[in-house]
Amino acid sequence: MISSLFKQLKSETTTRKKIEVLKNDKSFRKFFIQFIFSIFMLFFLFYLISRAFSLELGFGHLSSRAGFGLSHSFIIEYTSNDSRWGAYFTGVINTIRVSLVGIFLATFLGVIMGLARLSKNFLISKISAGYVEFLRNTPLLVQIIFWQLVLLQLPQISNALTFGGVSVWSNRGILLPIISSVENGSLWVLILLISLIVTLFIRSYLHKYKEENVKIFSPNLLSIIFFLITVIVSYFILGIDLRSDVPTLEINEYGTYIQSGGFVLTPEFSAILFALVLYTGTFITEIVRGSIQSLPVGQTEAAQALGLSTYQRITLVILPQALRSIIPPLTNQYLNLTKNSSLSVAIAYPDVFMVSRTIMNNAGHALPMLFLILSTYLSLSLLISLIMNLLNRRVTRIGT
Amino acid sequence: MRILIWIKENLLGSKTDILITLISAYFIYFISSLFFNFVFTTDWTLIQVNRKILLVGLFPEEQLWRIWTVFSIFSILISATIGYLYKLKLKNSIFYITILSIPFFIFTTLNLLFNILIILFFSIISYTAFYYFKKNQKKIISRILLFSWIVFLPSLFFILVLFGGPKVTLWGGFFVNLILAVIAIIAGFPLGVFLALGRASSYNVIKLVSIVFIETFRGAPLIAWLFFAWFVLPNFLPNLFSLNDINLVIRAMIVLSLFSSAYIAEVIRGGLQSIPKGQKEAATALGLSSIKELIFIVLPQAIRVVIPAVVSTFIAIFKDTSLVFILGITDLLRVGRLIPEQQQEFYGKSIETLLVVALLFWVVSIVLSQVSRSIEERLNVSN
Repeated sequence: MISSLFKQLKSETTTRKKIEVLKNDKSFRKFFIQFIFSIFMLFFLFYLISRAFSLELGFGHLSSRAGFGLSHSFIIEYTSNDSRWGAYFTGVINTIRVSLVGIFLATFLGVIMGLARLSKNFLISKISAGYVEFLRNTPLLVQIIFWQLVLLQLPQISNALTFGGVSVWSNRGILLPIISSVENGSLWVLILLISLIVTLFIRSYLHKYKEENVKIFSPNLLSIIFFLITVIVSYFILGIDLRSDVPTLEINEYGTYIQSGGFVLTPEFSAILFALVLYTGTFITEIVRGSIQSLPVGQTEAAQALGLSTYQRITLVILPQALRSIIPPLTNQYLNLTKNSSLSVAIAYPDVFMVSRTIMNNAGHALPMLFLILSTYLSLSLLISLIMNLLNRRVTRIGT
Repeated sequence: MRILIWIKENLLGSKTDILITLISAYFIYFISSLFFNFVFTTDWTLIQVNRKILLVGLFPEEQLWRIWTVFSIFSILISATIGYLYKLKLKNSIFYITILSIPFFIFTTLNLLFNILIILFFSIISYTAFYYFKKNQKKIISRILLFSWIVFLPSLFFILVLFGGPKVTLWGGFFVNLILAVIAIIAGFPLGVFLALGRASSYNVIKLVSIVFIETFRGAPLIAWLFFAWFVLPNFLPNLFSLNDINLVIRAMIVLSLFSSAYIAEVIRGGLQSIPKGQKEAATALGLSSIKELIFIVLPQAIRVVIPAVVSTFIAIFKDTSLVFILGITDLLRVGRLIPEQQQEFYGKSIETLLVVALLFWVVSIVLSQVSRSIEERLNVSN
């Protein structure tokens, strides 16, 4: 291409004709426009960078002592004497915690409500419609503040609701009874979750071997045995000591109320979780409804003709097919939920955004902190997309 | 008799159906009793007293004519466009009137009734005029409409600001949310179209820049970008015309526009991908240049397909304007939070004001989503 262009240029004698040749050549025009555009962009970039140097840059300030406490920490313990990096990672874990729980609950709620919307039952279908129309069309921030205000309307600690001594409900939070361990409890739960995921993978691989006629003992039983072994081994290695943990409410000698034990749902965490789940649930409801409606009616009729029950029809015929068109928009909603969890800054739940905001207030360095926030959310988004793409590949493979 | 059959089929089909009906009926009873108990036992004077603050914040009383002018021009333009574009169905119009009458009854006093009726009158006249004239003189009417949009949109901004207009710091209430949303949509839409074209183009450098822009803005939550506008953006603006200490509201506008353009671009990209290859080939065969092909063949079809999704994005942007609350801009949400904190007689009535705030957002969003739904129905019919 280029050599023929040069030949053509050489053969022309006058400058005007040479320009004419260049004008009419498509690849040259393409190159020329991109060249001008990149020069323009480089100048812009150069301008931005030169401006950025007048700001405080660098992440050195993150190694010094944080000096502020955080109301929520999970898995890793955090005190105000830790470095700012410690505070940041506590924030990251808090974000992951609220997003993960939120994603599970929102999916559950959305699928239930999506099925309810298509139910023949008039009342439940209208409940679902009303839920979507009301909660989808109000801003999430308003909903978060609403739930916080509602939870703060619970009675004061002095006359907390105790439900016969099993849990404590007050405006300081909701304490639920739980089975827990004195040491390494959360670590054990984490190991259980990981081994559950590994077990599911092993099970699917064993099933694949079985399909290829390799003689293998029941895959389900094998994977259950694997799971139980990891549970028991980690139980003894970590020295887990399980006991029921019922929250208690006491008055000490100064007349102050002390609540202890149990699984604590603080007002902040519950408010952000409720709002995220209810808000994202509306979008998932619509996704589930749309995907199921786009399936041909023949599928439902065929399932009915085969004599499948309603439950079997939904779980064996409808949902597996609908999943193909559900998963891509669902991934988008998961990403939105994770990003929306940053709104917890309005009610002081210390997620990564709120922690970075506090560090920005204390130590400046706004641009690096914003860069850190951006890269944190980007990597969380990438992680979610990666997992969902794997799931999507699995789902689209079924029945093809 | 037919009612009984309907009840048997829709509520009491089987045993599980009966159970579900009972539970749902109790749930509806529970929620509605909670709601109506709250609504009818609360003293709503705090809303009546603070009408003006909720709607326009601290905007000076003698300058309110600016907002009225902008509001009336805007509603007349909108109704003219609706009249030009399509016929309102009776069912839809009843829906719109019912929904819009809710804020009307909450916020209208006798003094304002006159203004509102005049605006309503002129809007209806412009709707009917454009609806009837488009049959005979479609070309002239469409040109008039386009021209008035192009002329009036910038002038709306000038009416608010120029000739001794109040400072931007005095803007507040629902007005700020509406104007932020309108500006973000008007600036974000063309930029989004350019970004979508850039991302789909065969020019690799332009493609790269578009992708980087879109993905960076979509990668972080909006609140992070608003903090960027708060702390960092002044440093990146040139020193000319004291641009680097412009008001926070304007900075929020800039960031909101950029943010929404990234989302709109992704929606429009979906539309671009949905166009069959044959269309482009046909355009090339007809000898259209690539720019003409884009403007007359590709873009109209691509945008037409994604109009419902674009309206959904507009709704999302409108709801997102409530985030400026965190920056300390006195938008509707902030006003709603400040009233029970600062006015002693309404101390602690946070939930009441919050419900009214939610209601205002809800009314606008539900009207827009109904618009999106009816456009979608029309598209389905015409396809």
